[in-house]
Amino acid sequence: MYRKIMTMAAGALVLGLSTLSAEAAGKNICVSWKTFQEERWKTDEAAIKAVVEGAGNKFFSADAQGSAAKQQADIEGLITQGCNVILVVAFDSDAILPAFQAAADAGVKMISYDVLVEHPDALYVTFDNVGVGRLMAKTMLEKGKQEGDFAFIKGDKGDPNATFLFQGIMEVLKPNMDAGKIKNVCETFTDGWKPDAAQKNMEQCLTSVNNKVDAVISENDGMAGGVVAALEAQGLAGSVPVTGQDGDKAALNRVALGTQLVSVWKDSRVLGKAAAEFANMIADGKAAAELPGVGKFSGGAKGVEVNAVLIPPNPVTKDKLNEVIEAGWVSKDEVCAGVAAGSVPACN
Amino acid sequence: MSKPSHKHPTHVERAGPPLIEMKDISIAFGGIKAVDHASIDLYPGEVVGLLGHNGAGKSTLIKILSGAYRRDHGEIFINGGKVEINNPRDAKALGIETIYQTLALADNVDAAANLYLGRELRTRFGTLDDAAMEAECRKVMGRLNPNFRRFKEPVKELSGGQRQSVAIARAIHFNARILIMDEPTAALGPQETAQVGELIKQLKAEGIGIFLISHDLHDVFDLADRLTVMKNGRVVGTARTSDVDHDEVLGMIIAGKCPPGAVPGPGALQGVAA
Amino acid sequence: MSMAATDNTQTPAMAQEGAVTRFLRATEIDSRMLGMIGALLVIWIGFDAASAFVRGGEGLLGGSFLTPRNLWILLVQTSSIAVMTTGMVLIIVMRHIDLSVGSILGFTAVCIGTMQVYWLGPLVGVGHPAIWIITLALGLALGAAIGAFHGSLIAYFGIPSFIVTLGGLIVWRGAAWSVIRGETVAPMDKNFKLIGGGISGITPGSIGAIASWILGLVICAAIVAMIYNGRKQRKRFNFALRPMWAEYVLAVAGCIVVLGVTWVVNAYYWPKGVVDRWAQQTGVTVPPEGMNIAFGYSIPVLIALGIGIAMTFLANRTRFGRYIYAIGGNPEAAELAGINTRKITVLVFALMGMLAAVSASISSARLDSATNALGQFDELYVIAAAVIGGTSLAGGLGTIYGAMLGALVMQSLQSGMTLLNFESATKDMVVGCVLVFAVWIDQVYRRRVK
Repeated sequence: MYRKIMTMAAGALVLGLSTLSAEAAGKNICVSWKTFQEERWKTDEAAIKAVVEGAGNKFFSADAQGSAAKQQADIEGLITQGCNVILVVAFDSDAILPAFQAAADAGVKMISYDVLVEHPDALYVTFDNVGVGRLMAKTMLEKGKQEGDFAFIKGDKGDPNATFLFQGIMEVLKPNMDAGKIKNVCETFTDGWKPDAAQKNMEQCLTSVNNKVDAVISENDGMAGGVVAALEAQGLAGSVPVTGQDGDKAALNRVALGTQLVSVWKDSRVLGKAAAEFANMIADGKAAAELPGVGKFSGGAKGVEVNAVLIPPNPVTKDKLNEVIEAGWVSKDEVCAGVAAGSVPACN
Repeated sequence: MSKPSHKHPTHVERAGPPLIEMKDISIAFGGIKAVDHASIDLYPGEVVGLLGHNGAGKSTLIKILSGAYRRDHGEIFINGGKVEINNPRDAKALGIETIYQTLALADNVDAAANLYLGRELRTRFGTLDDAAMEAECRKVMGRLNPNFRRFKEPVKELSGGQRQSVAIARAIHFNARILIMDEPTAALGPQETAQVGELIKQLKAEGIGIFLISHDLHDVFDLADRLTVMKNGRVVGTARTSDVDHDEVLGMIIAGKCPPGAVPGPGALQGVAA
Repeated sequence: MSMAATDNTQTPAMAQEGAVTRFLRATEIDSRMLGMIGALLVIWIGFDAASAFVRGGEGLLGGSFLTPRNLWILLVQTSSIAVMTTGMVLIIVMRHIDLSVGSILGFTAVCIGTMQVYWLGPLVGVGHPAIWIITLALGLALGAAIGAFHGSLIAYFGIPSFIVTLGGLIVWRGAAWSVIRGETVAPMDKNFKLIGGGISGITPGSIGAIASWILGLVICAAIVAMIYNGRKQRKRFNFALRPMWAEYVLAVAGCIVVLGVTWVVNAYYWPKGVVDRWAQQTGVTVPPEGMNIAFGYSIPVLIALGIGIAMTFLANRTRFGRYIYAIGGNPEAAELAGINTRKITVLVFALMGMLAAVSASISSARLDSATNALGQFDELYVIAAAVIGGTSLAGGLGTIYGAMLGALVMQSLQSGMTLLNFESATKDMVVGCVLVFAVWIDQVYRRRVK
C-alpha cells in the first residue's frame, strides 16, 4: 500500500477528546480484528475497550483469524447484532469492501483502523507514517547533529514503508543537504529489516569512509541495534547519534545508555484510545468530517478520498524515557539496565 | 541338448547338518506373495544353483538370507542352530556374504573403501587407516584381477569387470562361510566369466557353501552340485545336477513340471510330479 | 598409461597445459580448489581496484577492499555462514537438504538470549562467568536436539528432508517469535559477546598479535608434520611417493598462506576510540601519535577454522564420514553393506542443528542481541556456499574446505558491493548470477576432466 497525505493537521488534540463523548451512553461499539494471534492487537483492544466502556457504551469484538472470508462474515454478524460503529483492522483491504458497503447501506458507521480500506464513507485512523521519518530527522537535527557525514540505513527494499520513511527523512534534512552542511556518505537498503544485515552494511560503510561518519539515520530499532554494534567495534558508539523507531525495549535501553539518540514510538494504546474516542463521538451522531483533527486522505492504491486522522508518534529521547516507563510500556529495570547512576533522570 | 559331462564333485560333506537351512519361508509385498513357503538348504563345499524366471522369487528369497528383507514367516538354521537375521549386519556376523546383481558399490569412493565398507580398518586412535586398507585391497585385487591399478579412483570410473571384481573381493575377503552370488557373470565377457568359474571352484574347495543365482543353465550345470527351481514364489523342486538334464530343468522353470529325478516342492504342478 | 600415449601428440600450447597438469598431479592439489582461490583473488583485486576509483583507501591497489581492516571484518562476517556450510556439505552429500538452518539459528539465538537476559542473569548475577558456558552448552544441545528430531522424521518416518526442513523453516521461525513475542533481547552476556569477535568493554574478541603469531607457527608446523607423516605412511606400504620438490612446494605454500593471513589479521589495529577507552580505564597514557594494538585472529574466525578442521577430519578420517559419503554414493549399497543409514541420517542432522546453534552464538554475540529475524535467509546462503564450493546436489560429492571457500566467495561479493555502495537489488542479482555461473563452470570442469 502506498499512502500519501494530501492535507493533514493532526495535533495533540487527541488528549482532550474524552470529555466530549462522556454523554454518550448505551451505544454499541464493535471491533473486527484481522487476527488476534499477534500480540500487539491485545494491547490495542484493552485501550479501546477502556475508552468505550468508560463512556458508558458497550464493547464487542470478533477475530477473523487471518481469513478474509471470515472477516466479511464477522462484520455482517456485527451489523446484525446492532453495532452503531465498527472498527475494522482489515485482513484484505479489497476483499472487505462489500462488507463496508453493506454496513453503509445499513447505516452503520465504519472506521478503518491502522489498515486503510478505501471506502468513501469510512474514517481512517492510523499513525502518521511519513511523520515517523520526519520526526527521526527532526530529532536528529534538534538533539543530535545538524551537519556532517550522514549514513542512511534503510529498511527492506520491498517494503514501501522503507521508502516512505525515507521521504519524510529527506523532507526535513533537505535544506541542510542543499546548503552542503549534510553529506550523504552511505545509503543502503537492508534485506528484511534484519539487524545482522544492517550491522554488515554499517561495517562496510565505516570501512569505506574510514570511520568518518557523524550520524546514522536507521529506519527502525532492530537495525539500530546492528548499527550500534558496528559502531561499538570501532569505538564510536555513543559519539555517533543513531535513530530508530518501534520503542523496542533493547532500543530504549540504548537510548538510556546514550548509544542511540531516539526511538520513535508508536504507542498502540494511544492509537486505540484515539480511535475509540472517535468511535464514541460518531456513535453520538457526529459526522466524520466534523471530527477534530480530521483531514482528507487519498493516498491509497485506488486513490479514493477518505476522511482520516493521522496520530503523531512519540519521539522518545533520553529526557523522555520517563514517559514510556510511566505508560507501563517497559519497566524501569529494563530501560535502565547497565546505566551509570545519575546519568539519566528517568533512571534515578 | 545333452546331459552335462561335468559330474557332481565328491567332496560335499553331507554327514552333518546343512550349513544353511531355510525352512518354510514366506514374504509378501503389498498382498503379493513374493516367496510362498519356500525351503532350501546348502551343505559345506556345495554349490546350489537357484533358477527361475524374473519374479520367480529367487532374488527375494536370497535377500531374506542376506538380511536385506525381513521374512514374514519361516525359520533359518545355520549348522542346525536357529538364527535371526534382521538386517545385513546380522547376516555378515554369521558369515553370510552376498554379491548382488547390482554389485551394490558406493560409486563415489575408491576400491579399498568399498572393500571395507561397513568394517573399516582403524588406527589405534580410532581413525580410518586408509593406507592399511589400500595395502590390503592391493593384495586381494592382485589375486582376483592382477592387472588392476586404479586404486585411487572412484569405482564409477572402473569397467564392468573391474567393478565386479571389487564386489567379489568384498564378499570373499572376510572369511565367508556362505556366499550368495546373484547373477555374478551377467556383466562379464567370456574370459572374465571363466575366471569367476575358477574362483567358485576354488572357494568350494575351501569348504564354502555357495548359492548361485543365474539365468544361464550352462553355468549352473557347470558349477552347481544341486539346483532348486522356483516359480511364482514357490519351490518347484530340487535336484542333483547329475540326476536331471537341461530339458527337464527348462520344464521345471517354464511349466513347473517336476521330473522324476527331482524332489518336488509345493510349487510343483500337481498330478504330474509323480 | 593412456596419458603417455596422448603426450606425444600435443601441440606446444597443450604442452604448456601439460606442465600445469603434471604439477597438479605431482602435488595432488585439487585443481578445483586452485580455481576457486584464483576466482577469489580476482574478486578481491577487482573490488580493491574499483573502490580505488570510487573513494580511495590504503588497500593494495589504493582501494579500501584489500586492507587489513576490511579483510579482518570479511573473515568475521563469513564465519557464521562458514560454520553452517560445513554441516550442509555432509547433508547434501547424503542426498538430503536442510532448509531449516536459518530458523534453527534464530530460535536457538533467542533461547540463548532469553536464558542470559531473563533467566541466568537475574539468577546468578549479570556478567557471572558461568552464564556464557551454561547458555552456550544448552544452546548447542538445543540445536542438536532439533536437528536430531528432523533427522528422525526423515530417517524413521520416511518423510523427505525437503519437506521436514521446509516445515522446520516455518516452525522454528514462528517459535523464535513466540519465545520473545517479537522483541529484541539485549544485551548479551559480556563474556559471551566475545564469541562474536566484537569488543566487550575493553576486552577484544580476538587473541592479539603474539598469540596469533604462535598459532600461525603451530599451524605451519602441523602442515609440515602432516606432509612428513603422509610420506612416511606411503613408504610403509610401498605406495607411489610424491616427488620431493612437490612436498616442499606444498609445505612452503601452506606456510606462506597461513603466515600471510596471520600477518593480515595482525596488521589491523584497535580503532582510536577503543584505544582511548582502554587507556582511560587502565590508566595508560597514549602517546600523541597513537598506539598500534593489533587485533589478531578473532574468536569467531578461530571457531570457524576449528570447526572446519574438525569437520574435515570427521568427513575424511572417521567411519562416520566414510559412511556419509558411501550413503551419498549409493544408499542401497550402504544399507546392504550393513551401515545403519538411519542412525547416520539422524546424527548428521543433529550435527547440522548443533552447527546452526554455533552460528547462532556467533551471530547473536556479534550483534550483541538476539532477534527472531536472526538468520533469516541464511539457509539460502549456506546452501549456495556449499554448491559454489563444489558440492553436488546429486549427492556423494563435496568437500568441507570447498564449501568454506564458497562462503568466503559469497561474502566477498556482498561486502565488496556494499563497499562500493551498490544498490541492494543489484547485489542480489549479482549474487544469484554468480551462483548459477559457478555451478555451470563446475559442471563444465567435471566433464572436461572426464
